[in-house]
Amino acid sequence: MKMSVDLLRCEGHGLCEEAAPRLFRLDDEGDLLVLFENGEVPPGQDGPAAGAARACPVGALRTEQAGA
Amino acid sequence: MLTTVPSTDLDLYSEESILAPYQPYRVLRDLGPAVRLERYGVWAMARYQDVYAALHDHETFSSGSGVALNDTINQRMRGTTLASDPPYHDHVRGLLNGPLTPKALRRHRDLFQRVADELVDRLLTAGTFDAVTDFAQVLPLSVVPDLLGWPTEGREDFLGWASAAFNTIGPLNERAVAEVPAMKGMWQYIAEMARPGRLRDGSWGADLVAKASAGEIAPELVPSLIGDYLVPSLDTTISALSSMLWLLARHPEQWQAIRADRSLIPNAFNEIVRYESPARGFSRLLTRDQDIDGVRLSAGTRVLMLYASANRDERRWADAGVFDVTRPDASNHVAFGHGIHGCVGQGLARLEGTALLTALAGRVARIETGEPVWRVNNHIRAMSALPATLHAG
Repeated sequence: MKMSVDLLRCEGHGLCEEAAPRLFRLDDEGDLLVLFENGEVPPGQDGPAAGAARACPVGALRTEQAGA
Repeated sequence: MLTTVPSTDLDLYSEESILAPYQPYRVLRDLGPAVRLERYGVWAMARYQDVYAALHDHETFSSGSGVALNDTINQRMRGTTLASDPPYHDHVRGLLNGPLTPKALRRHRDLFQRVADELVDRLLTAGTFDAVTDFAQVLPLSVVPDLLGWPTEGREDFLGWASAAFNTIGPLNERAVAEVPAMKGMWQYIAEMARPGRLRDGSWGADLVAKASAGEIAPELVPSLIGDYLVPSLDTTISALSSMLWLLARHPEQWQAIRADRSLIPNAFNEIVRYESPARGFSRLLTRDQDIDGVRLSAGTRVLMLYASANRDERRWADAGVFDVTRPDASNHVAFGHGIHGCVGQGLARLEGTALLTALAGRVARIETGEPVWRVNNHIRAMSALPATLHAG
């Protein structure tokens, strides 16, 4: 699964971190840290990734299945 | 594809439907994924799945032609963040959201907590008070306007204007027409405040005006951006904060659970706005023919997304009609909308709600309220009065 993060839309509400703590973290200053590279969701994290994309209240996350 | 077009003459804007909306919402949900409101010539989407999908497809469900249900206001709204599509929308939202991100709001946390603590301390000695005027209105009418930069004189008009703005988001019924003079007063005030030197130096609003003076923002945008900061910060937040006391009074075992585990506070705030969503919803205009779960609507149709109904959709929520601060998926509500137009002030609303819940949790053993008197407003679900008493412990 691929996931794109629109950093311009991101406002740091943090719902992504709640849904997928291994993929997203807000640091001590409230900035978003994306914990995966090149938009590739790590193995086993598709569920949390989809949950994060659904949860983001400002539409900053998009997923697509690889090869779709 | 459905063989009959779902349609109803149910009046969502009658006084009866406004004061007791949840049964009408249920009727709409059960009639179909999109239902024609015969009285208003718009289609209502009352189910979570369809509302959510629409909110995440801004190209099909456009805001650029306005998000109200009447042409007068839809014309007037042009240029606001609310009633625009990308790329313009993204540009103006980016001008507004800087001070409102949770990160930017952190520096104000101590201030909000202090004011909340002092307020609860005062109310504990006040005996019976009104949850709306003495509790819910305090932060939205003091700390928030200060941050926005509004002068202290004239603030007594704000509540009337906010109410008028939401009353005119629906159809132009009698209730809405009566508000047009108030709206004109508000637009005049905003135009005046958009001039350099009127808003407090260093405030969020003054920063916008300064950007215009420096040539970073087109000056003609400033009044609508100032308006974007003024109206939404009031009625909706006040509604949520009033509902807070009422719902926690009615569910004392949940109040005890929150006191015992403060980490429940953010979820409690989510459940409060899911259960009693302050804003009924907004409309969109279809830019192309669209199939909504079997109901085919043509380009140019106006649809009304009912957030307050989506948040009670039994298709989405287990025991949808039950208030439960431990509900695991409460944060998926659409009370703030969702997607690119998701409420830009939601971080501020959460900050206010969290500060008050924290202040209460540290001081109040029992929240007691009487029965609410609900306001009659086309688009805000809110109380006008709620007697309340806080018991220390």
